[in-house]
Amino acid sequence: MDHSAYIDAAAATLGLKIAAEHRPGVLQFFALAAHMAELVQGLALEPHDESGNVFQPVPPHGADAT
Amino acid sequence: MNSDDAAGIAAQVRDGALSARTAVERSLARIEVTDARINAFSARLNERALKRAELIDVHPQRHKMPLAGVPFAVKNLFDVAGLPTLAGSKIERDAAPARRDAVLVRRLEAHGAVLVGALHMDEYAYGFSTENTHYGPTRNPHDTTRISGGSSGGSAAAVAAGQVPLSLGSDTNGSIRVPSSLCGVFGLKPTFGRLPRVGSYPFVASLDHLGPFARSAHDLALAYDSMQGPLHGPPSDDPACAQRPGQPTLQLLDQGAQGLRIGVLGGWFREMALPEATDAVDTVAQALGTTRLIELPEVERARAAAFLITCGEGGALHLEDLKKRAADFDPMTRDRFLANALMPAAWVIQAQRVRHWFARRVARVFENVDVLLAPATPCVAPIIGTEWLQIGERRLPSRASMGLLTQPISCIGLPVVAVPLWGMSAAQPHLPIGVQLIAAPWREDHALRVAAQLQAQGLCSAPVARGL
Repeated sequence: MDHSAYIDAAAATLGLKIAAEHRPGVLQFFALAAHMAELVQGLALEPHDESGNVFQPVPPHGADAT
Repeated sequence: MNSDDAAGIAAQVRDGALSARTAVERSLARIEVTDARINAFSARLNERALKRAELIDVHPQRHKMPLAGVPFAVKNLFDVAGLPTLAGSKIERDAAPARRDAVLVRRLEAHGAVLVGALHMDEYAYGFSTENTHYGPTRNPHDTTRISGGSSGGSAAAVAAGQVPLSLGSDTNGSIRVPSSLCGVFGLKPTFGRLPRVGSYPFVASLDHLGPFARSAHDLALAYDSMQGPLHGPPSDDPACAQRPGQPTLQLLDQGAQGLRIGVLGGWFREMALPEATDAVDTVAQALGTTRLIELPEVERARAAAFLITCGEGGALHLEDLKKRAADFDPMTRDRFLANALMPAAWVIQAQRVRHWFARRVARVFENVDVLLAPATPCVAPIIGTEWLQIGERRLPSRASMGLLTQPISCIGLPVVAVPLWGMSAAQPHLPIGVQLIAAPWREDHALRVAAQLQAQGLCSAPVARGL
């Protein structure tokens, strides 16, 4: 799959310039990441299969010192 | 215990047979003589170290210090007061010097250890070879034509070269276990969240671990026990750090593997390894008397999850510098960081969900086993500059492949001790290779006990490289 259009659009959106000499490497590595993405997208998960990341609220300084 | 390992030095300093100053002078002299060939050190702290050693020598509690006078060095992503925290980069040379040492440096020094320097690494910890373009490659002390592994290459090489008996590194996808394997030293990647990361330069907050390298399981436990414990500041300084008390391991080592249920990981962990790696695992399994083969589900997807989380977080972290000064990144990392900055959120979030799914499945496996064995690297250390690795029918990029077998494990934060074996490669018998001893979360003691037994049996060892 050709990711060029996505890469150009995402880079422009972020304000990230990709020099011509870096472009082949970026395309190659993005393609590898896309392959990894196929693997993770290929695992059937249920809606309740959440990420393990849990935000911890931060109390005022001093209240949470241990 | 040997006279030149951490426990041996500390015992001599405690009882007055050796001064801390002499221990530090010996380390500094060894660095001076050997580092031109190894290139492990990015900064030497001779003046600071000698002053600190003199304080240890007159310290009223010296005889109680578990690391009295032990020289150590840290990967240069740890803050060291007065130095910019380079994290292997050129960009961070412009950063303000750190105002104080990283928490783990302070903890080791509070137990009597003496910091002697900072060590090279892959730029921003994004690599497995320490072939850093800005600072030159860190060479493997057992064969200087070969890589030291990475990203904590300097940390492993400094111990293997006998420059220091103890060092610290970080492990996001294998960066303690890979260089341990390739340089033939013991390494501990603790449970995710076990050791506080305050004062270290991040790479991937969801995956970053810190841990020690040493020449024995005993020294790993000694250092690890000295660094354990919750943060004393606000937990928000490192939200991942578990607020749980330390669980000392050193006094448990004599139990060895007795009573522990041990299995060998199959599937991915054998398919993605050369014979020298699987032979090392089989040798350890035989010594431990186990033939039990265990397969974890969806290992390749777990590895992909770690890969994508790394992309997403690593890319976002460096986005501003990528916009402003991409040319200043190491060519070894630059194109990857640029691509990483563009990762779709859906990929990264799905990767986090897969990670958690995998952790829950593996937790079930640990209901029936205590320690799992797997190779730490697919092969012994490649020659510097090697681009490709052939594993069976697969031709893979060599540098990234060094982490194939570590990445699925750190993805779910399990504690691992990497232990070195020798003579497993018929073609390169002088080179070591590591085996991962993988335990359930918070059971570093299990992995360390097995490591101690293997060392006592003479199967695993970390000799100082000769001829440097």
